[in-house]
Amino acid sequence: MSEKVIIRRLVTGVPGLDAILGGGLPEFSFNIIVGSPGSGKTTLANQIMFGLATREKPALFFTVFGEPPLKMLRYQQQFEYFNFDKIDDSIRFVDLSDDIAAGSFDRLLERITQEIRISTPALVFVDSFRSVMFEMHKRPAGDITAQQFISRLGIFLSGWQATTFLIGEYSSENDPHPVFTIADGLLSLEQNVYRNSMVRKIQILKMRGQATRPGMHTFSISAEGIEVFPVALVLDDTGNATKAANPVRSNSRLAMGVPRLDDMLGGGLPSGYSLLVAGPSGSGKTILATAFLAEGVRLGEPGVIVAFEQTPSQSWIRTIDNLVRAGKIGLINTRSLDLSIDQIVHRLTQMIREMKATRVVIDSLSGFELAVAPSFREDFRESLFRMFAVLSGLGVTVLMTSELEDRYVDLRFSPYGSAFLTDAIIVQRYIEVQSNLQRVMSVVKVRASSHSTEIRRYEITDDGIVIGDPVLDYEAILGGQPIRTKK
Amino acid sequence: MPTTNSSLYRETVRRMLANRVGDSPDAKAIAKATLSIWHQVFTRLKPLIGPRGTNVLFARSLHLTGAAYPWLSMAVDHADSKDLLADIKTRLEDHAPDVARAASYALLTNFIDLLTTLIGESLTERLLDPVWAPYPTSSQKERVA
Repeated sequence: MSEKVIIRRLVTGVPGLDAILGGGLPEFSFNIIVGSPGSGKTTLANQIMFGLATREKPALFFTVFGEPPLKMLRYQQQFEYFNFDKIDDSIRFVDLSDDIAAGSFDRLLERITQEIRISTPALVFVDSFRSVMFEMHKRPAGDITAQQFISRLGIFLSGWQATTFLIGEYSSENDPHPVFTIADGLLSLEQNVYRNSMVRKIQILKMRGQATRPGMHTFSISAEGIEVFPVALVLDDTGNATKAANPVRSNSRLAMGVPRLDDMLGGGLPSGYSLLVAGPSGSGKTILATAFLAEGVRLGEPGVIVAFEQTPSQSWIRTIDNLVRAGKIGLINTRSLDLSIDQIVHRLTQMIREMKATRVVIDSLSGFELAVAPSFREDFRESLFRMFAVLSGLGVTVLMTSELEDRYVDLRFSPYGSAFLTDAIIVQRYIEVQSNLQRVMSVVKVRASSHSTEIRRYEITDDGIVIGDPVLDYEAILGGQPIRTKK
Repeated sequence: MPTTNSSLYRETVRRMLANRVGDSPDAKAIAKATLSIWHQVFTRLKPLIGPRGTNVLFARSLHLTGAAYPWLSMAVDHADSKDLLADIKTRLEDHAPDVARAASYALLTNFIDLLTTLIGESLTERLLDPVWAPYPTSSQKERVA
């Protein structure tokens, strides 16, 4: 008799939602979905309903004052989850606007319980809940209070074994509505408009009985409905979920596809490392990245490129383009300004898994920063850190480029302080020699490995990067004004 | 406004109306059948889209039908749908069977077309099919049981 009750979790089928809920919705729970107008509450509720309702476990959707049922049916059927066969079969809509107009909680409760007794639904939705509270100002004397109403409704619904969703518009965190105390689950949706971009976020403020994924998660609404992009998990060292996430880093090294560069790196780039290629505009970062991917394809190591900058018409990108068309590498090409990093990471990890990719290129961090919505830029560094953690968990080798303003007064690798996050760094620079611009590159760091410290000249030819000999005839070249080495 | 299958659907509605009226139709029979159909439509839609929403749709259909049958849309001033239907019944009875039948049919199809523009063909058919069906459909039977 000492066995605990097992709470079944309903898998909502909303992509990403079950993950942040901690495995799904507890059965018979009493949930509230809150958010500002237009934040996607009704859409989320409908998507959950169409996903979960079956003939054995039917759903009742009460529409109250808020959105006219006709309008809701009109708009909701635009989404792919809307299933006509379920209407009036496993899903029933009930309009309560007239009962609300009567202005009595008693009567409303009576009506709702009566409907529930008739169809014994497994899922109950009340949309919108705010209008319930709003309309009830002019209640008759002796009527139950809003709090009592909710409380009784909650008791009744759990007694009738229904998983319930109230959809409302409260958003003030400072003044939580008493209803929130009764709720088992509280899902908060919001849309943030910052400058020119709009970002949707969802947060599980409360979910009794299970551990949810904390924080704000971005989500999108498309023709398929809502898709949640859970914040990438940074794994701790307590052993939680680390088994899958800590890949065995092999001792193998990856060929870069640029002659002599492997030697400079001490025998190629160690597998699983992240490499930052920093350099000024036109120094050949993308070409280096292209060579890295092409070499991978040649050796049977598929790759994925996240491109934020160049157009496919450019010559070096054409190589990429051909490889993408041939299905040899995956391409995520985006210039949308409304992305969250988690959204990109989500797509990236999906593609890495699909392609079984081992090489990843991010070109470039500067473009990446521009592509994410402005409201995320403040957290850009933190998000990069999470992204690296996820990619490292997948065991892929990452090459990312970073545009570097040519400053000869200091030696910098990245404007985001991301240099310390990476395992290896290659820096490229221009130097002036006899009134000519020449390119030089050097390996600055390869973690736990010996590497060359030479500064070498290189040229960009039609065949790619050709690395020359170390610059021995000049010194002080990082200052931009080399002087001939005294012999 | 009418969609691809709507002519087929109109035919169903027309035949159903003919069925209900019977073999030797007079205006009284047509009016009676019309009334019973609308009762069924209202019973079906009111719980779902609310009495108010249903009444508005009906009033709009009546208004549209008024273009061809002005005498029918004179009934529009009733607040209660029951009085409105009773009034329409009387008006239908006052006309020749052919005219009454055409007017009744026009009102029904206008209502269906209106609903279709709002919630689409599939959902409209799904909601109203039980009204046209001569016998309860299988899913209805299950629900009753």
